[in-house]
Amino acid sequence: MSEIAARETSPATRAASLTPRWPSGPAPDGWPLLPPRADAPICRPSEPAGLSSEARPEITRVELDIPVMPFNTGWNAAIARPLKIAVERVAIEAEAPKILSVQFRRLPAKTFSFTFPEAPAWAFQRQPGKGDPRKPSADRPPPDRPAPKVTRIAPPQDVIKLQDRLYYVLQPSLESLVATNSLEFPFEPFPYQLEGIAFLYSRYTAILADEMGLGKTMQAISTIRLLLYAGEIRSVLLVCPKPLVTNWRREFLLWAPEVPLAIIEGERARREWQWRQPQTPVKIANYELLMRDRDVIVDPELHFDLVVLDEAQRIKNRSSTTSQVVRAISRSRNWALTGTPVENSSEDLVGIFDFLAHGYLSPAMKPRQMAKATRDYVLRRTKDMVLSDMPPKLFRDAELELTPEQWSTYQAAEDEGVLRLEGMGESITIQHVFELVLRLKQICNFDPVTGASSKLERLEADLEEVAASGQKAIVFSQWVQCLERLRKQLQRFGTLEYHGRIPSKQRDGVIERFRNDPQTHVILMSYGAGSVGLNLQFCRYVFLFDRWWNPAIEDQAINRAHRIGVAGSVTVTRMLTLGTIEERINQVLEEKRALFDQIFSQHEGPRQNVGLTQAEIFGLFKLRTPKGPLQAAA
Amino acid sequence: MTSSGPRSSQPIGFLTVCEHEAQGLFGGYLILNTAGRPLEFHCTAPVRPSRSQEILYGATLKAYLYGEQIGQALLEKAKTTPLVVFTDAEPVLSARDFTSLPLACVLPPPADSLAAGAGEPAGSLRLDEGRRRVPPPFGLRVHTFQVGSQRLAVLQDHEADAPIIVKHWEPLAAEFDLLEPFARIREAIDEARRSATRPS
Repeated sequence: MSEIAARETSPATRAASLTPRWPSGPAPDGWPLLPPRADAPICRPSEPAGLSSEARPEITRVELDIPVMPFNTGWNAAIARPLKIAVERVAIEAEAPKILSVQFRRLPAKTFSFTFPEAPAWAFQRQPGKGDPRKPSADRPPPDRPAPKVTRIAPPQDVIKLQDRLYYVLQPSLESLVATNSLEFPFEPFPYQLEGIAFLYSRYTAILADEMGLGKTMQAISTIRLLLYAGEIRSVLLVCPKPLVTNWRREFLLWAPEVPLAIIEGERARREWQWRQPQTPVKIANYELLMRDRDVIVDPELHFDLVVLDEAQRIKNRSSTTSQVVRAISRSRNWALTGTPVENSSEDLVGIFDFLAHGYLSPAMKPRQMAKATRDYVLRRTKDMVLSDMPPKLFRDAELELTPEQWSTYQAAEDEGVLRLEGMGESITIQHVFELVLRLKQICNFDPVTGASSKLERLEADLEEVAASGQKAIVFSQWVQCLERLRKQLQRFGTLEYHGRIPSKQRDGVIERFRNDPQTHVILMSYGAGSVGLNLQFCRYVFLFDRWWNPAIEDQAINRAHRIGVAGSVTVTRMLTLGTIEERINQVLEEKRALFDQIFSQHEGPRQNVGLTQAEIFGLFKLRTPKGPLQAAA
Repeated sequence: MTSSGPRSSQPIGFLTVCEHEAQGLFGGYLILNTAGRPLEFHCTAPVRPSRSQEILYGATLKAYLYGEQIGQALLEKAKTTPLVVFTDAEPVLSARDFTSLPLACVLPPPADSLAAGAGEPAGSLRLDEGRRRVPPPFGLRVHTFQVGSQRLAVLQDHEADAPIIVKHWEPLAAEFDLLEPFARIREAIDEARRSATRPS
């Protein structure tokens, strides 16, 4: 009921005006009209409280005549009435969707399995009382420091079976063995030495042909040690020249002190027992002994897992007894150690390979063919390849004029000798020419009548300087008589001798005295006795009083001093008399160096003349007859 | 080869997967004795996921291939039971759900933690260094811990592996370069691959 604010009238009028008037009669649409209830409250406008009569608004009453027609909606009846639901079916035709099912069954990957035999435990006992100059553990690199290079044992090409190849590939890297102290070394090996060990380890046939002074001994000993630890070998025979036996024993004590070894020596009965007793895994014998004990060594019941030949050029002559004996030794693996695998011709290499793998090389092969065939079996490094920080070798060729006395004697000898050779005609042999060459070379050293020597004069002057600076020098000659003559002239320098006429038992003492006595400045050595195996890296000067037939032997001699551990540069003086046979031989030597490089260098080069052929030897004197150039007798 | 001797009582396993662009995934499993010498080696033929696998596995594909398909197959093939297995590929950790062997991933040291770990004495253990959720695409939850200077990770669901691994590994940590055997496995896989492709 709405109300309209109007002007106020009497309360009764006001009440009456507010009372709705219900219409009479039926409601539209048949709805019954409901009368108002007598007790229905009357809504009155609320009067604001607190207002005074003056503040009350005027109210004007307006009569509203709004018809109210309540009617019955019938909702309650409708709610009570049940629903009428009509269902109408409509067919919907549609294609069933194609279903693509992806099965994810587990398909395990195909696998390949390899099992390796575990190395049996081998507890080496360190021999009491032996020196053990190991570096203190504080100096060793910490095990978690990564090695800059990783050297792995690589399988050789002739290993074909995958399981065998994987056996090598899966061995620990050599650097990790060193870093984690699994294999202790008295000194940290050079990286190239670890490569050498990795090279030898997997090979049944190998030549380690590193330049002298790079540690072939250490590499061989360390590899033997690894193979013994791995259980791959149980018996080793090491053959070396007699003067080097004590050197090998010393090196074994240094690099593998826990490995039991035996030196084959003494009386025959004792040696025979030593050859056969199986407890000692490593046996060392010299080449001369092999000949004497041949019947024991070639017994098929005596088998070695590994035979190592040191200075293997000793067997380059295939027909020699030494070569025959070593080839007859029963063995599984064989290595050759030599800094000069090719001394005179490529046939030297054939001779060594006759021991390593009979028939693999033939003399008819050209040097390049030989290089290609042996590439996987030969490892050669030179000092300038692997030791960039090694002090240099300084060559100082002393080209000298003969003294007048020498020149007179020389000319007479040469003229007489050439005439004699030419007079021999077709019966001339190489031996006759050699005799003349040697005689002339001796005159180049000393005049046989007066003893005059331009070389000695120069040598004395140089040795004054060496001694004054407190240094030591080695003087090489191929003749012992020459060395004995030099000793008499050079006594003031505390000169010592080391050659074939010095008993072998005294030789070690000579070296020790030369090393330790500050008053000894010179040691005189023959190429044969002093050019192999000795460590004289405290010497800074080397003099080649006369030259050898091939540069390899000279290099060996020089490398007695220029080797690992040398304190500084090594000065090499090669003495050569001008206008003589020495100068002509030198030219041939240069050609031989080219041959060696061709076989063992990594780069292809032009074909060079091979060796000192008969023609070249004859050509030294240009021997001719009226019929033409002189040829050797058939 | 020499005749076999007694088996090592403390073998260690190394499991990894190499990806070759042309051929697919190669798995390698190497078991070493404590001297670092090989006892067993197992490798898989190349595994390539199908296109439907790539789509439907999505971010979990790597864990499935590395762990369930390759890792599980290799671990089941071995005759020797190692004390612990290491991997250098984190997705391989999912293989732990299919084996009872403790399996840990060797983690590279983060640059910022190098200084923090520098003074750590060898063999010390810091458990609960952090529980972290491996971000996608691997979706693996791992628990990392440290043994000496080496950070390792195990699946969070197998956190109990951590003290077992420490117990077996700690005495060997000074003698063993943990990452070196994985390089051997890769070379061995290359060797096997070359052998398979070599003309007969």
